[in-house]
Amino acid sequence: MLQVDRTRWHPIASSDDLPFRHVFQAQLFGREFAVWRADDGYVNVWENRCLHRGVRLSIGINDGRELKCQYHGWRYANRTAGCTYIPAHPADAPARTITNRTFPVVERYGLVWTAEEPGGDVASFDWLERPGRLALRPIPVNASPQRVLASLRDLAFPPCGADGESFETAVESADDSVVVLCARAAGAETLAAFFVQPVDAHRCVVRGVLDRAPEPAPARLSVLRDLNQRLTELRAEIERVAAQEPAPAAFEPAIEPLPTELAEMPAISNHGRRAGFRVSVERKWEAARSIAGFELRPLEGLLPTFQPGAHIDIHLPNGAVRQYSVVNGSGEGATLTIGVKREPDSQGGSSCLHDTVRTGDVLAISEPRNNFPLRRDATKTLLIAGGIGITPLLSMAQTLQNQGLDYELHYFVRDESEMAFRDRLGELGSAVRPHIGLSAEATARQIETLCGGYASGMHLYLCGPGPMLQAARSIAAESGWPDEAVHFEYFKNTKEIDDSSSFEIALARSALTLQVPAGRSILEVVREHGIDMPSSCEQGACGTCMVTVIEGEPDHQDVYLNDSEKRSGSRMMTCVSRARSPRLVLDL
Amino acid sequence: MIKLYDYELSGNCYKLRLLMSILGLDYESITVDFYPGREHKSGWFLKINPLGQLPVLEDDGLVLRDAQAILVYLAARYDQSDRWHPRFDARLLGEVSQWLAFADGITATASAARLHDAMFYDFDIDAARQGGHRLFRILDEHLWFGEREGRDWICRADHPTIADIACFPYVMLSEEGGISRMDYPAIRRWCDRVKRVDGFVTMSGIFPAGPARAA
Amino acid sequence: MHGRKCADPVILDLWHPIASLAELPTGMRSRTVLLEERIGYGKAQDGVASVWLESGSEDGGGRPLPAKAAYGYLWTTLGRDPAALFAIPEYDEIDRRKFNAATIGVNVSAPRAVENFLDLGHLPFVHSGILGAEPHTEVKEYDVEVATERDEIRATRCLVFQPKASAHATGGGDVEYSYRVPHPYCAVLYKSSAADPSRLDIVALLVQPVNQESIRAHFLTCRIDETSQESAIKRFQQTIFGQDKPILENQYPKKLPLDPRAETPIRSDKSAIAYRRWLSRKGITYGVIPAAA
Repeated sequence: MLQVDRTRWHPIASSDDLPFRHVFQAQLFGREFAVWRADDGYVNVWENRCLHRGVRLSIGINDGRELKCQYHGWRYANRTAGCTYIPAHPADAPARTITNRTFPVVERYGLVWTAEEPGGDVASFDWLERPGRLALRPIPVNASPQRVLASLRDLAFPPCGADGESFETAVESADDSVVVLCARAAGAETLAAFFVQPVDAHRCVVRGVLDRAPEPAPARLSVLRDLNQRLTELRAEIERVAAQEPAPAAFEPAIEPLPTELAEMPAISNHGRRAGFRVSVERKWEAARSIAGFELRPLEGLLPTFQPGAHIDIHLPNGAVRQYSVVNGSGEGATLTIGVKREPDSQGGSSCLHDTVRTGDVLAISEPRNNFPLRRDATKTLLIAGGIGITPLLSMAQTLQNQGLDYELHYFVRDESEMAFRDRLGELGSAVRPHIGLSAEATARQIETLCGGYASGMHLYLCGPGPMLQAARSIAAESGWPDEAVHFEYFKNTKEIDDSSSFEIALARSALTLQVPAGRSILEVVREHGIDMPSSCEQGACGTCMVTVIEGEPDHQDVYLNDSEKRSGSRMMTCVSRARSPRLVLDL
Repeated sequence: MIKLYDYELSGNCYKLRLLMSILGLDYESITVDFYPGREHKSGWFLKINPLGQLPVLEDDGLVLRDAQAILVYLAARYDQSDRWHPRFDARLLGEVSQWLAFADGITATASAARLHDAMFYDFDIDAARQGGHRLFRILDEHLWFGEREGRDWICRADHPTIADIACFPYVMLSEEGGISRMDYPAIRRWCDRVKRVDGFVTMSGIFPAGPARAA
Repeated sequence: MHGRKCADPVILDLWHPIASLAELPTGMRSRTVLLEERIGYGKAQDGVASVWLESGSEDGGGRPLPAKAAYGYLWTTLGRDPAALFAIPEYDEIDRRKFNAATIGVNVSAPRAVENFLDLGHLPFVHSGILGAEPHTEVKEYDVEVATERDEIRATRCLVFQPKASAHATGGGDVEYSYRVPHPYCAVLYKSSAADPSRLDIVALLVQPVNQESIRAHFLTCRIDETSQESAIKRFQQTIFGQDKPILENQYPKKLPLDPRAETPIRSDKSAIAYRRWLSRKGITYGVIPAAA
């Protein structure tokens, strides 16, 4: 009986099996994998099954940054396998961290290796590290790995560069997953490792690697053909014998149950203002005049999945917590890039990042949160950025570009030196339309022109300074854009908050009635009573602390909700908004 | 106009739809209720093709049966580039014909296994599957060495030929007959390449490929 | 006598479809498999169909089984006391065209096929250009209930954008669907008729479970349509199901998991969630992976 060692690394593919935008299907001990290389070179080894309805991901589409499931078009990010988009609900960022199971991966000796629960390293063969090595054509065999390992000891082949019939092949070493043979003839010697990938109880793949490949190419090809021929003949013999015996039962790989929160209908996760990840500043540079770019790399493991439009909280060395949008396109997750504008009236956020934080420093960041989700079902998407408002829209633009969707990115700046992230903008080509040095009136006229051609199915995303956003929102409304097609994100809430009211709140699910006095926010009062509420900016701009209002009339003071949402009164921001009625019933 | 006696779920009919789409040809599709109606064995159809098989093509008074023969005719008559059926290159033409015959072998095995599983034909399913695997091993090896020689397609040319079109459908549909392609990575890569040919169309049972390069 | 392979009393006691009556040649015996049992069936010269358990001998024959003709199909049961077959009242309307559009084998469990038939989110992807199209991917809110008087699941008010809603539709637009699941392995789809918008066309998926992981899917079409050729309607239906087939055959596990922690649902999967719970409540074990107690 085959011993299943889940801690051991096994090869599951050749590096050559992962060409541009391909998805490879592999199997080990009966468990299937979808294996794909993203455009950034990262090799993903995932359970071959979409978490949603169990469809094989190996029939999915590799778009270079995300893998798209064929059944419902769900998209999963390179590296993390986190779900970035669910087309059935285009307006919502996937509320839960829906993540497919991933497996560790190492590329070595021209092979791709994985293990279910790795202990230790990939088998070490110094002599295969040399650049001249040659990976043979993998040979699948319908027989048990033990039988194949035993038969491989008798494989005979001449060393590279030897002609004639006179050669010897001897076993150098062998264990229960590899046979190393050495072929010798006068003046020539070739070492070869034959790794046996246990596909199932009765199936395996022989993956041979030679220590050196002869030059030039035709000689190399003839070695490949010769060994392919010899292995094919050996396979015929092995399978002939194996076919006469009953095949052992196939493995039934266990499918792990999902975490409870993924199994139920969306529950909102309850993260407070916590820093979950530690990152180091890999690079800090001047992305534009007064804008510092920061590229953040995780100290260990992978960064969490983010979606276009998402922001992270950064916990600064001086104790301040600030929000910055992720600039990366979806699925581009080796590092996170943010852009920080130096604010003249900085209260320790931007000035700390500009003046104090340097390359190599370690920062704590939160899980990315997305209160500015991008629909990918628009017939056309219009992105309008002002100044540093480019950051979330640039993330969106790169995602739309990679998916081949129709969009325009309009970028308003005072002068050319303020245009940030030019390298990324450059890759978007003609979809980027800079508007440089326009006055407030000229900007408004330009936005009027841009908003002119509204048609059903189009969506507009706005991010920039408050007055520009205010103007753009009114222009869009006057041009016939419905509220639900206009999406915006303010950097901050510049409104004066009036916290003089006092009122009662009833928490429906917690069965608590609390008093909110003047000078205190709902968020503060609720937290004081032990209820975990997520929040981020705490000034009514980001949308994280939103709650559903069951009864009562809220006094909205935020800039997150649009006018019709405010009028409906069904949701509110607990960090700044209050009550007009004496009592509010909240879904908490 | 060209007339194709056609059945949606037939890989042999799909070969012709695929080539005509690639060549940009207009045609009229005449649906023959192959299953469950068995219309290809009905009197009116047997007058057109006494073998009682799909597809049949009618063009300019010519009535032609056999998918591979029709591929040859369409390419020879309508492909201005003479690449799909390279009639002026004797060696290449020989290779094309060799692989057209191989495609018939795929029909006799992989397609038979699919007819057994999906439409309950009384075939020896084990023999059909084993036969399919035997051919796929040969094709995978051929394509793997082709990649080492810088060749993307079945025949020794820097472009696809009707040999690729002839072999593609029943390779892609093999899993409906219980013949997995997991053991044939070079075939899987070649399938992606065929799907990225300009003018490619799918049929029921065949998924499209992703974009060939960054948008 | 060998023991029954299916031990699920609920499934054994149901009527199951095995063949289209119109396609049954008179005076000939045919064979199929139902719940892992080899079944013979045929139509005598007088037009009466019969079904029997195959004994294994060459001349066929064997223990007779109950036979029922309904909705154009021959039905049988391996149980002793089959419940009444569900009703499709519209089937009796005389101006409807009704026939078997396809009988296709699929290597998947019956409940996976039924769940896929109810699924709205896959239409723009799997049936792109026919029953849906990107970018119209949003699944709008719809209603699901278990109708207690009939013990069946109903999904109603399902609005689906369709670029081509039927064999002879041309433009795109929202079409309203509703579904009934009156039998663990059968589902009925109603959608507004292109010929008479005040009435509903019907497509029913009637699944014959061959074993726990493979089926014969029979498609009943029952529509108000005087113009379309039968072959065109069949082609349309087979094109659609031919697109679902590789999805179903690539689902793993092939049996439908009933444990809520096996797969991740979203709002648009309401009908699937209701269907899985309904199967669980009935205590069905065949073709599913029951939730751990």
